[in-house]
Amino acid sequence: MKPTGVLFFPAFDWAISPTHPEREERLLYTRDQLFEEGIMDLPQIKEYKPRLAEPIDIAAVHFAVPELDAYLLEAHYIAAGSTLVMADAYMNGEIKNGFAIIRPPGHHAMSVSHGNRGFCNINNEAIMIEYLRHKYGIKRVAIIDTDVHHGDGTQEIYYHDPDVLFVSFHQDGRTLYPGSGFMEEAGGPLAYGTTINIPLMPKTTDGGIHYVIDNLVMPLLEEFKPEIIINSAGQDNHYTDPLADMRFTAQGYAELNRKLSPDIAVLEGGYSVETALPYINMGIIMAMAGMDYSNLREPDYAREKFSESPRNLELIKKIVNTQLNRFRNRQDKIEQNRRSVQEFFSEYERIFYDTDYIHEEQHIRLRNCPDCCGFRIIESTAQHRNGKLYRVMCISIPINCCSSCHDQGAQMYQDLIRYDRYDRVYLQDRIMREYRSFNPDREEEEIFR
Amino acid sequence: MLIGIDVGGTFTDGVLFDGRVIKESVKRPTDNDNLDRVILEVLNELLSVVPEEKTVERIVLSTTLVTNLLATGKGKRTALILIPGYGLPHDAYQLSPDTFFITGAIDFRGREIEPISVNEIRALADKLKQMGIKRAAIAGKFSNRNRSHESQTADILKQEYPDLEVFLSCDIANQLNFPRRAATAYFTAMISREWQHFVDEVEKALQKRGADIEVHILKADGGTLPLDISRHYPCETIFSGPAASTMGALALTMDNKNSLVIDIGGTTSDLALLVEGLPLQASRGAQLMNHYTHVKAVSVRSIAIGGDSPLAYSDGRITIQADRKGPAACFGGDAATVTDVFNYRLALQQGDVNRSKNYLQNIAEQAHLDLDSMCDQVIDDVIKTLVRATDDMFKEWENEPAYRVWEVVHRRKFTLDRVVGIGAAAHFIIPRVAQFLGVEPFVHHYSDVANALGAAVARPTLSVYLHLDTERSLCSVEPGGVVEKTHEIVKYQLSDARELAVKYLRKWGKERRMEAYLDEYNVFHEEQFNVIRGWNRTGRIFDIGIQIAPGLIQEYQGVK
Repeated sequence: MKPTGVLFFPAFDWAISPTHPEREERLLYTRDQLFEEGIMDLPQIKEYKPRLAEPIDIAAVHFAVPELDAYLLEAHYIAAGSTLVMADAYMNGEIKNGFAIIRPPGHHAMSVSHGNRGFCNINNEAIMIEYLRHKYGIKRVAIIDTDVHHGDGTQEIYYHDPDVLFVSFHQDGRTLYPGSGFMEEAGGPLAYGTTINIPLMPKTTDGGIHYVIDNLVMPLLEEFKPEIIINSAGQDNHYTDPLADMRFTAQGYAELNRKLSPDIAVLEGGYSVETALPYINMGIIMAMAGMDYSNLREPDYAREKFSESPRNLELIKKIVNTQLNRFRNRQDKIEQNRRSVQEFFSEYERIFYDTDYIHEEQHIRLRNCPDCCGFRIIESTAQHRNGKLYRVMCISIPINCCSSCHDQGAQMYQDLIRYDRYDRVYLQDRIMREYRSFNPDREEEEIFR
Repeated sequence: MLIGIDVGGTFTDGVLFDGRVIKESVKRPTDNDNLDRVILEVLNELLSVVPEEKTVERIVLSTTLVTNLLATGKGKRTALILIPGYGLPHDAYQLSPDTFFITGAIDFRGREIEPISVNEIRALADKLKQMGIKRAAIAGKFSNRNRSHESQTADILKQEYPDLEVFLSCDIANQLNFPRRAATAYFTAMISREWQHFVDEVEKALQKRGADIEVHILKADGGTLPLDISRHYPCETIFSGPAASTMGALALTMDNKNSLVIDIGGTTSDLALLVEGLPLQASRGAQLMNHYTHVKAVSVRSIAIGGDSPLAYSDGRITIQADRKGPAACFGGDAATVTDVFNYRLALQQGDVNRSKNYLQNIAEQAHLDLDSMCDQVIDDVIKTLVRATDDMFKEWENEPAYRVWEVVHRRKFTLDRVVGIGAAAHFIIPRVAQFLGVEPFVHHYSDVANALGAAVARPTLSVYLHLDTERSLCSVEPGGVVEKTHEIVKYQLSDARELAVKYLRKWGKERRMEAYLDEYNVFHEEQFNVIRGWNRTGRIFDIGIQIAPGLIQEYQGVK
């Protein structure tokens, strides 16, 4: 039997600030618990060393404004690189599954990145997925976001990609950051139904969350048939988390991972550093390694406190039915959408960066392509904290688009760099694996390939 | 004068060293059923040749006694009493057939989650009495942060069953990793009496001679431990053999180069690394009976090829066999061995080369092979096996986990400078291996007794780990099993924590008679965390590791 890979990178020398929830202490007690249990010594576990991601891995996902190293620290490169170590180990057949227990987190980082939002700068899971797609030819991916906050960054990155199923259950956006993740956010016009949000009432328990897993998430996975399942493994649904208000337990998380059986899990949020994280991380590792976790519990755990109220369960059942139908009827809706516009779909977005206090405005256009899911043009404007206003143009050509879209997108970039209306122009060409950014002021082009 | 004795799998070597010269060396076949006897014989023989006007200042013994007792099932039946609290399932702990689980739980900050049960422990005492078990090791999860459950359990057991000999895991090892603590305590309990007996015998033998000589035991990390202190930590003596040869390599080279040390024994070869003149330590501690322990040990890779490994022709292939049949043919043995191959093919002119050739010729004829090409194939096999093991070692070292940005960014790189050969067959094999690796070989005329020499001149080592939690006023120290509440530390800064660690190092260093080296400590681990509750700092957590690293004793000036 192959072992479960564990990459533990607590980044003991990185913090947003000394007293911030994302501080050096965050995984200290998890370290103590994992080491005291001796779990890394077990034959079922193989421990891995982190590495730095390459700039090209990040450029495959992000349009970093004005450039990567404007706000990226080594810690970010290592967190992203660690997911790639897990990806390689999994694809090379060294491990049956892998868990990257890493900081800093990533699931709030979107395609265009002006800075840090929701403690995230770059999206670790998306960087890993694009790496898997490029290096190993993986096509269909499912991401289950089990963080208490809506995984709005990952959602945005794959909103127009019908080959990536993104499922996020989280505390209702009316009661928690980032204020999104409602049922109506169901994917772009040509990728409708492969973004599934499950907003849950505050104080939802193990009972409620497992109802969602059993009756929605598992059927979705069965029908979508992904080649790889990623758990975006936040741990802040826990009943002791200081930033959220749910009632999920370490047992609940372990059980969730047993059912989900993710190929790779990546730590996201979770800020109850002392009363939740040590136990949840143990639980996830044990579940992924196929070990019996019935002896795992928090010091103050009492089973009877975590069954769901009938009223909330009724609400959850409705959500589950709605979302299951939405997913099953997605092709009809996509066909309808195709007939609704001519050349381009167009949409405006406002994005708030809570950590860096930046307001971004986006105008997104998506080509209504009859043969594929189209390419995207994002015009983004934001004033950075240093006062500088950035207006940038980003062209994103996904790996699964047709040659006509590819050529049109690439040509558009060439046309755009002749204007000096923008502070940067970007081309993200995932087909050619070529990522360009053009700085009109200096007439300089940076190319990763 | 100095005496070093190293018990190997095939032979026990002893040297009497004076000035820069080995005055006498003794070699005896190792008798695994009578290890004490062989050691004492070699010791007596060396002592008997000490000239009237000279005195022996120091004796260092490197012995496989503990490993051997355990491997041959001579460890005494011992109850393992675990207080695992919550986490891994109980069946994860497959250590002792007599394992007992009791209630009680402590968390990572040393807080009691669940008390122990007096009645349960009393019942257990009765049960052990009935079963006739006379030894017990107690290990609790996070006992290194709060030893009260372990010590209370011991007290209750002894009240009910005074004849029971009890060992606490936190006394023997006080660091994180409960299964390793449990294993170390359990194995210590199994062989403690037997080790005491050995120490008594050595002391008696020396008293008989009226000599007041400092006696040390070589530890697995390449350092020594005074004989009397070893009574508390018998498991520290395991795997001293590879440590002896690695320290021997250091003693012969005495510089800061990066060396691969290959100790070619009778039927196995041990590989170790000297990184900038220090033996590389295994990251997980030594494995004993397939269980990780808290014993710090030189990182060693063993392969089943030695100088006396015989060749055989079977199933259409020439193979190198694992069982030694005696010495190499060129030294009077009755089998063609790896040594013979190198001797004949590389024209090394050792012993009776004709015997080498004749025995090899026999096998070549069986195999219908040309003698020279058969030898080339064997040489190739040996070198490739060694090189593969070397590569694995490098890779493992470079891929050790890292928990800080700094460690990942400053990736460790290892460039090999040299291959040092230890053991009699090293003269034959090492130059060729070094050539293959593209580095210089180093084989000294003392190479075949370098293990005993390494033992003789290794200095004492000591590592002190300190864990301070100022919010909880908790101070935990290894070694010594100190886990105490002390309000003095509430206002501690990192520098205070370091100072306290040094204080403990000095205290135990004196006990271990290593005053001469106490100023040479280095801090190998240092962590400082703020404990934040809400948005305020409510305390700090410090983890400090300081050590006197392995090295050579001051008196040693090198060899001629």
